[in-house]
Amino acid sequence: MSESNELLWRCGRCDEALEKKKTVFSYLGRSFTHEVDVCPKCGAVLIPRELAEGRMAEVEEQLEDK
Amino acid sequence: MIERLNLSKLQAEEITSLSASCVAGAPPPCARKCPFGLDVRSFTARAEKGRWQVAYKSFRDAVVFPELVSRLCPAPCAGACSRSDVGGAIDLPGLERAVTALATDKRRDSYAIPRKAGSVAVVGAGAAGLSAALSLAVKRCGVTVFERGAAWGGALRALPDFDVFDAEFSAGFLSLDVNFRFNSEIHALSELSEFDAVYLATGDGGESFGLFDSFDSTLLTTAQPRVFLGGGLVGAELMTAIAHGRLVARSVETFFQIGRATAAADASVCSWTPDTTDIAPVQRLVPSDGSGVFTDSEARAEAARCLKCDCDICLQGCEMLRRFHKLPMKIASEVYTDIGANPPYSSHTITREAYSCSNCGYCKRRCPESIDVGELLRVSRRARVEGGSAPPALHDYWLREMDFSSSDAFTVLPPRGKTTAEYVFFPGCQLGAYNPDYVTRSFAALQNVFDVGLFLGCCGAPAYWAGDDTRLIANSEKIREAWRLLGEPKFIFACSTCASLFAELFPEIEGVSLYPLLAESVAYDTGGTTAPFGAASVFDPCSAAEDEAARAAVRTLASGRGAALTELEESGKCCGYGGHIRLANPSLYEEITSGRVAVGELPYIVYCVNCLAVFSERGKKCAHILDVAFGLKNSIGQGGAGMPDIDTRRKNSLEVKRLMVRELGADGSDFIPERDPWDDIELIIDPETAERVDRKLISLSDIREALYLARESGGFFTASDGTRQCSMLRTALVYWVHYREPREGVYEILDAYYHRMKFSEGEADE
Repeated sequence: MSESNELLWRCGRCDEALEKKKTVFSYLGRSFTHEVDVCPKCGAVLIPRELAEGRMAEVEEQLEDK
Repeated sequence: MIERLNLSKLQAEEITSLSASCVAGAPPPCARKCPFGLDVRSFTARAEKGRWQVAYKSFRDAVVFPELVSRLCPAPCAGACSRSDVGGAIDLPGLERAVTALATDKRRDSYAIPRKAGSVAVVGAGAAGLSAALSLAVKRCGVTVFERGAAWGGALRALPDFDVFDAEFSAGFLSLDVNFRFNSEIHALSELSEFDAVYLATGDGGESFGLFDSFDSTLLTTAQPRVFLGGGLVGAELMTAIAHGRLVARSVETFFQIGRATAAADASVCSWTPDTTDIAPVQRLVPSDGSGVFTDSEARAEAARCLKCDCDICLQGCEMLRRFHKLPMKIASEVYTDIGANPPYSSHTITREAYSCSNCGYCKRRCPESIDVGELLRVSRRARVEGGSAPPALHDYWLREMDFSSSDAFTVLPPRGKTTAEYVFFPGCQLGAYNPDYVTRSFAALQNVFDVGLFLGCCGAPAYWAGDDTRLIANSEKIREAWRLLGEPKFIFACSTCASLFAELFPEIEGVSLYPLLAESVAYDTGGTTAPFGAASVFDPCSAAEDEAARAAVRTLASGRGAALTELEESGKCCGYGGHIRLANPSLYEEITSGRVAVGELPYIVYCVNCLAVFSERGKKCAHILDVAFGLKNSIGQGGAGMPDIDTRRKNSLEVKRLMVRELGADGSDFIPERDPWDDIELIIDPETAERVDRKLISLSDIREALYLARESGGFFTASDGTRQCSMLRTALVYWVHYREPREGVYEILDAYYHRMKFSEGEADE
């Protein structure tokens, strides 16, 4: 299993270290912000597996049920 | 023939009618016999818990005089009691007496009800008159009782227990405003002209002042709107006469409100009785006390014997319904209200239920009224798609597979050298995907006997289950057109889901199951092949529940190949694949699939390739009937082959098409699948990771495509340990691949995952 959370990531295109930044997420017509790793230069967003299959999956299910 | 759901014209009745005949909550057989319509289920449930007070109050509310009724009721309920054959009918009068004895607080709850404007004269102070007077007084009507005798009770006065009843009457009227006029015989209705309503309860052979002929027994009304009749006067026996008291109180009340008596909403009348085959007998209790009244513990035990008969047969049979614990009528009403849900202002309430149903039809087959909860929930899925609020991720994978089956893997081949066919073999989208031999060997066997062509495509089940009418209609039109071009042949189905869906969508197309043809013609050429298991059980797919011919043929084929068969105790339920619920409700999918593999200890012989895949994935020994019939050893389920991953299944489907085009097409015909630019990307992936990713329904092709896009765009991330990560945005999902690139162009896959949310990527805020 990957443990991307503990790794230090850089943007492959810009070679910039990623920084935590508020990002807008949307699903089924609703949106909200959450802080994730983002390239400070190009804005590319990195979602680690733990977030995708953990908290995000929970929120996705809650929104589907609403 | 299917039409798209027209949401703007959809009426509530169209949905609620799908469950309207549900008998859940309807009066049980005993209550249907009770003159008072006592809610026996609640009464015995309360008694079982020792809740004497509430049991007493509900009993008194129904029967008016608990002491009288519990002692004198002949208990017509006993004759209808479902316990009769398994220990003896419930002693309901015994329980009623015990409840009446054990309840200590018999005071009436007092409510601040304003006094009714109308006044009522009750003529006769026998059981019927007293019951009416008390019921009317409780409703705060001004009541005057005229009795020609010197005291109340009428015919009851002759009974040995009259002192008990007398005390009950006294206690009952103690706090109520009822004016009793004894020694007051009424000779003409004109004497009662000051009253707004009159109830004549003058007893058997009593005076009706000429109104008997116009008497209506449902509302106790007469030709004179303000005059009502009841009790022995209209021929009622004692218990019905008492029950008339409550009925006339309701009639008088509505008469005061709107000028005429009206009936309460009709209680649904049904003939349902529970199946007591599996109920353990428990003998009826006899009070140990010399007084003949149950003690506290005896009453609880006797009440516990009551089966509380209520139909929840659909809940009992279905893991999904049991989990959500919703009965058909509630589901129907939520399906309708969900269509109008407008988040965030109002929420959906039935999403998870709708997307957790296998559409296997088991509920419909078990239901005494044949209610199909699956159809109800499919209305919900269709409405969600039509209204644009369906969560696309839940069915995206299968809809993409359907699109593949209906495009790249699709072909229609008449018999070699012909343009039309008498028969066409429709193996279904997954049969050849799991093993191309299933299709080629079956076709070869059919070809020996029939003028048969081949139709490779999808029946439309993924769109049907997703509620995607547009896709389903498009696919159906494609099938219908090809069928016409082929000379309208009969379809031979290997998959019973295809068969049942065709029956619904294409009533004009004649269809037949492959298995009876194989069993009857013994057309396969592998005589003497032994079954992979000496002893096995046939697991029938849910969609073959009504296909007796297929069920019998599979058993004939399996036995003929040397498998000693033991029937499973449970049959007709979906393996877990149906409805494509896996992503919508993973834990339910887990519960269902683990339950199905444990129904029988022996290996399973299946004849639905999806059952085969589901059971193999759970490690259950199993074989497809085509493995058995043709002696195939290269299939999943027997340890002869690993589970083909998503890409291999797609390749197998294309391989079937290639083989059959070569076999049936004109000389030199061939089929060369189109290639994507990422097909040549070399992957290294350990088996454990490959299986984990495959179970998330992420294909290696998806992974290759994501890597290709990252390589082309340079859009990836590098980590401090040298690994990389890239993503790919698709309509329903965002895919992520975590990988290493040990040498240029070679990718070692560490993980892959997805999420359903989208994020806004762009220039960073300053």
